[in-house]
Amino acid sequence: MKKLKASVWKEILLVLHDKIGLLLMYLMPLLLVFIITIVQNSAFQIVNENKLTVLISNQDKGSLGDSLVKALVHSGSFDIRKNNGLSAASVKRNTIDEDAMLGIYIPANFSERLASNADNISQLMLEQMGVIEKAPKIKPKKQEIVIYFDPVVQENFRISVINGIQSITNGIENEEMVSKLFQEMGYDSIPKNIRQAIINRETKLKIANASLSEVAELIPNSSQHNVPAWSIFAMFFMVISLGGNIVKERLSGSFLRLQTIPKGFALTLISKFLVYLFVALSQLLLLFLMGIYIFPHIGLPQLTMPNALLPFLVVTLLSAVSAISYAVLVGTYAKTQEQANGFGAISIIIFAAIGGIWVPNFVMPDYMQAIGNISPLKWCLEGYYTLFLKNGAWSELIGTITFLFLFTVICQLLIFIKLRIQNYI
Amino acid sequence: MQETLLHVSKVYKSYGKSTVPSLDGVDFTVARGEIVGIFGPNGAGKTTLISILCSILDPTFGSVTYHLDGEKTPREIRSKLGFVPQDFSFFPELTAKQNLSYFGNLYDLKKEELAHKIDELLEKVGLFHVKNQKVATFSGGMKRRLNLIISLLHNPSILFLDEPTVGVDVQSKIAIMSLLQELNRQGTTIIYTSHHLKEAEEFCNQIILIDHGKIIASDTLNHLLTKYEVSNLEDLILKLTGTLLRD
Repeated sequence: MKKLKASVWKEILLVLHDKIGLLLMYLMPLLLVFIITIVQNSAFQIVNENKLTVLISNQDKGSLGDSLVKALVHSGSFDIRKNNGLSAASVKRNTIDEDAMLGIYIPANFSERLASNADNISQLMLEQMGVIEKAPKIKPKKQEIVIYFDPVVQENFRISVINGIQSITNGIENEEMVSKLFQEMGYDSIPKNIRQAIINRETKLKIANASLSEVAELIPNSSQHNVPAWSIFAMFFMVISLGGNIVKERLSGSFLRLQTIPKGFALTLISKFLVYLFVALSQLLLLFLMGIYIFPHIGLPQLTMPNALLPFLVVTLLSAVSAISYAVLVGTYAKTQEQANGFGAISIIIFAAIGGIWVPNFVMPDYMQAIGNISPLKWCLEGYYTLFLKNGAWSELIGTITFLFLFTVICQLLIFIKLRIQNYI
Repeated sequence: MQETLLHVSKVYKSYGKSTVPSLDGVDFTVARGEIVGIFGPNGAGKTTLISILCSILDPTFGSVTYHLDGEKTPREIRSKLGFVPQDFSFFPELTAKQNLSYFGNLYDLKKEELAHKIDELLEKVGLFHVKNQKVATFSGGMKRRLNLIISLLHNPSILFLDEPTVGVDVQSKIAIMSLLQELNRQGTTIIYTSHHLKEAEEFCNQIILIDHGKIIASDTLNHLLTKYEVSNLEDLILKLTGTLLRD
């Protein structure tokens, strides 16, 4: 025990002297989690909380153009700037000049065409119901509302805006169609009770998160996504410090001396493992504490810890052990410190990319998702998402636990083979 | 007759698929209390031989037998060996005292004994006043002295040194050689390699000359000089190994 204590103490001193390593292991992940959570949270707020500035030029000679504008105002999602003096070409240019996210040009014949189409459909329906003998043949007229997006607006954001506007125009079209139907049947307008029924018929969507457990729901937000993801990245990035440290000691000859001391080499490896396990766990603790206690004070969502505590500890421990095993593997096989640092850093960045740390796995093509399965970071992340977002427990973690266990065993085996060949053990 | 401490029998070592062995049937004995110098050109097999003697490498064939008092298991034998590698094998980020304390604990020395030994050795090689300084700030000579005393913490019965005075100033060389002579007087057997042949002439009782993995001469210096009719160790080596450059 005395030998182990001395060995551990030596490793602690070496870690404390490695200032760059400490910055990479503690400060870098803090900054990464902090910055990326803020950025992602802002993007989330832009979409969900802020109103989008819309420049509208309504040239419609009828009333339906106004109905569309009113509906857009009523939706609460848009900050409307009306300027009916603008041509379509001017809207295109002014959208950028006036810092609007999008511009909408409603043409002069919008009401006329929409009414004509609604009339056509109502005539066909009446014919079908036998109220009239033959509906007049009217060629459907295409509606053309032009939407200009600021080029910086991303595709997925455009789609959600288009869907929102489409839904509003559909509502106007439907109402116009029902109105025409009643006019054909001799009413001046849609009867009040029917109008109310149409309004009430709108399907209300109750939004909830899928969960694997009935216990308190975990709310997905930028903190729940980023803190676990970047904590894993930080843990694996210890390859720079630990991998480099192993190569340095081997090249300096201290490994050689340790070979001549009974149990010296084994003790060194064990103590490195223990000290870096502490480093990995303290990294996580630091990042999680920041998510829990600091984020709420700077306007970020508070990190909520998973309900399944024991599975969380097991996944954490396995993730840390995998990260350490990988770092030792890189350190054992690298011939120089530069090689260990370069290969270690790049491999972790690739593992992070294919593992879904930066961009979620599910948006990747199938073959990339398949390749991603070799990344230990993917499985660590999957384990944490199961716990932090889906409220999962043991049964949902079998894949993660199995992969990380096998990954660790394979790394340890390769380390053993290399050290045996080199006569270190 | 002197008591045999180490017996090396037909040691053969080859690396990987190489057809040229690094050691090819090396055979010699070392008596207790001797100072044995192993010499030869670069690539002759000196470092491989030292590595096998202190159990860093296993021989492909042959055996190395130690006749140490009471120590039977490889672990017990290892605990009586001291090895001073040619490279600085310590941690430059730590202080001299931290380095010595770490290695001393690995040798399982008792706390008080270790503290006393650290101070004693630091004093002997003139490093006591810088014991709390980071080794990275030391000069080459200071590092070389520290490299040596780390291997002496556990009072080894047999000490292996691979170029212990390479790249040091005269003062450091004198300090190192004086300490080694003192250790030898106290009973430590020393086996070392060096390219400082003048130093070796004064220091060694027995000379082993190696080339191409084979022992080409082995005896006391005087016997070898007489046998090969040369006046010093350098001439002896040149006569037996030639003047061709070795890589």
